[in-house]
Amino acid sequence: MNLVAILTVLIFVSSLVLIFTERINRTIVAFAGACLMIGVGEAFQFYKMHSAVEAIDFETLGLLMGMMILVAMLEPTGFFQYLAVLAARASRGRPVRLFVLLGSVTTVLSMFLDNVTTVVLIAPVTLLISEILGVSAIPYLVAEAILSNTGGVATLVGDPPNVLIGSAAGFSFTDFLVHSLPIVAVTWFGALFLLRHLFMRELSMPPSSAEAVMKLDPVQSLNEPEKAKKILVVLGVAILLFFVHHLLHVEPAFVALGAAAVAMMWIQPDIHETLRKVEWSVLVFFGALFVMVGGLEKAGVLESIVGLFRGEESVHPVLFGVIIIWAVAILSAVVDNIPITIALIPIIQGVGATGINIAPLWWALAFGAGFGGNGTIIGSTANIIVTALSEKTRTPITSGLWIRRGLPVMLLTCAIASIMYVALYSTF
Amino acid sequence: MNISDCMKRNVVSIPETASIREAAAVIVKKHIGLLPIVDGNDRLIGVVGLRDLLNLELPDFVRFIDDLDFVHDFGAVETTRPSAEMLDTPVKTLMKDAYTVEEGCGLLRAYALMLQYNLHDMPVVSKDGKLIGIASRVDIGTSILSAWDKVAK
Repeated sequence: MNLVAILTVLIFVSSLVLIFTERINRTIVAFAGACLMIGVGEAFQFYKMHSAVEAIDFETLGLLMGMMILVAMLEPTGFFQYLAVLAARASRGRPVRLFVLLGSVTTVLSMFLDNVTTVVLIAPVTLLISEILGVSAIPYLVAEAILSNTGGVATLVGDPPNVLIGSAAGFSFTDFLVHSLPIVAVTWFGALFLLRHLFMRELSMPPSSAEAVMKLDPVQSLNEPEKAKKILVVLGVAILLFFVHHLLHVEPAFVALGAAAVAMMWIQPDIHETLRKVEWSVLVFFGALFVMVGGLEKAGVLESIVGLFRGEESVHPVLFGVIIIWAVAILSAVVDNIPITIALIPIIQGVGATGINIAPLWWALAFGAGFGGNGTIIGSTANIIVTALSEKTRTPITSGLWIRRGLPVMLLTCAIASIMYVALYSTF
Repeated sequence: MNISDCMKRNVVSIPETASIREAAAVIVKKHIGLLPIVDGNDRLIGVVGLRDLLNLELPDFVRFIDDLDFVHDFGAVETTRPSAEMLDTPVKTLMKDAYTVEEGCGLLRAYALMLQYNLHDMPVVSKDGKLIGIASRVDIGTSILSAWDKVAK
């Protein structure tokens, strides 16, 4: 490697280390790292500003932003709260039933909406329901985070790594339903049964006031039913369009942004309020990582990594996929899965340039990045959110508890995914 | 007129060594909203309010749900009480810094400070920090209004 390559690797790796230590906010680190990368690129004449802009994947950013705007409009209507209240009433206060219902609602929502937002909105109502029942909120909160992480892997829009992978690999929404959904469905049931078993003691304690949840009023919990209906209509049409976007030759990002535009024209929200809810820090983080990886690419670093795989026939491709699932899962359990995915994408693309069929590797990456996050308290943003919420209550979730309840789920989901990956390898 | 003309001079307070249980008992017995905490030399070191104590009983979800209208029955939390262990911890753990004024403070200044910091009672201290009185919003407000009598018709 030449000096330029070493410099870019140094910038990228030290940014990642800073991000992973969480001493400084990840977006600030990535932003500074991106600027440093361009600075070095300009100084050594290998990475100019316009190449940095080209390196940003606007498909990914557009899809994320469109969905964020839709959710930002749906959030104040109380729709999420409404669904949780319906689930509570349908459970009639029985813990196991409530556990399955809340887990399912969170999963279905997080398949189509960002799972961070879903958990942010469902978790407080979960706390309310469990306090009214007089039971510990911990099993429900942990299950919501884990099941939404797991369910999110099923669709193109369910999880930020999927958005990245879909854009890089050119996978359509239907590709995810065909290749990812079946594996995720089996994995999800596995996760649900294991969680039910691990929380057996908590879930078998009879609630002290089951009848009180029946007095929760779903109609009152939906603050703005008219607005909610309109946004759900737009969201429904958008999801239908996701199914056929490849036939219509439009990108998912266009569907999401278009839906956001229609919804904004229809309900005309307070735009400052709506845009304030968009997670700009996530979008900037993505953009900055793209710029950094672009620098690595221009400096020839990725080529040298890919060179390691060239002519490497010793690892069987199926085994290689399984290794990716586990390696990415273990990494994702301890660090943020977004930078891992962004860094691995050009490497997999490079492997593809050598003539190896990389389609299965993309799926391996998606499973590893998605299921790995279940293993630790810091493995995914959803985990961090339910933990942070529980810390403000009388029964905080500890990292030891997560290791005992979440890690087994991660191991089981990765094992199921690996077995199904091997079995379905030829279909990828 | 200043605050020393309308404040109550017979102030109820508790020593810093008191427990939460004792603080609650004094608040109940004297039917007050704010309880000053003093050191051995009668110097004011902080306050504990009715609200700080009630927070121990308030369910956690109240802080996380914007609109609680749809909750008609608090269920199990209606009958939850703070634990004995919690009640026996020193009241100092709940103590807040006190906003105070000195006895020479004008009524409007005192009222404006209470509005700004959303206070219902204002402890009054001497120059050396000793607690010498306490005035409520009603004490201060009615004193201000009483001057309207003298405005010519």
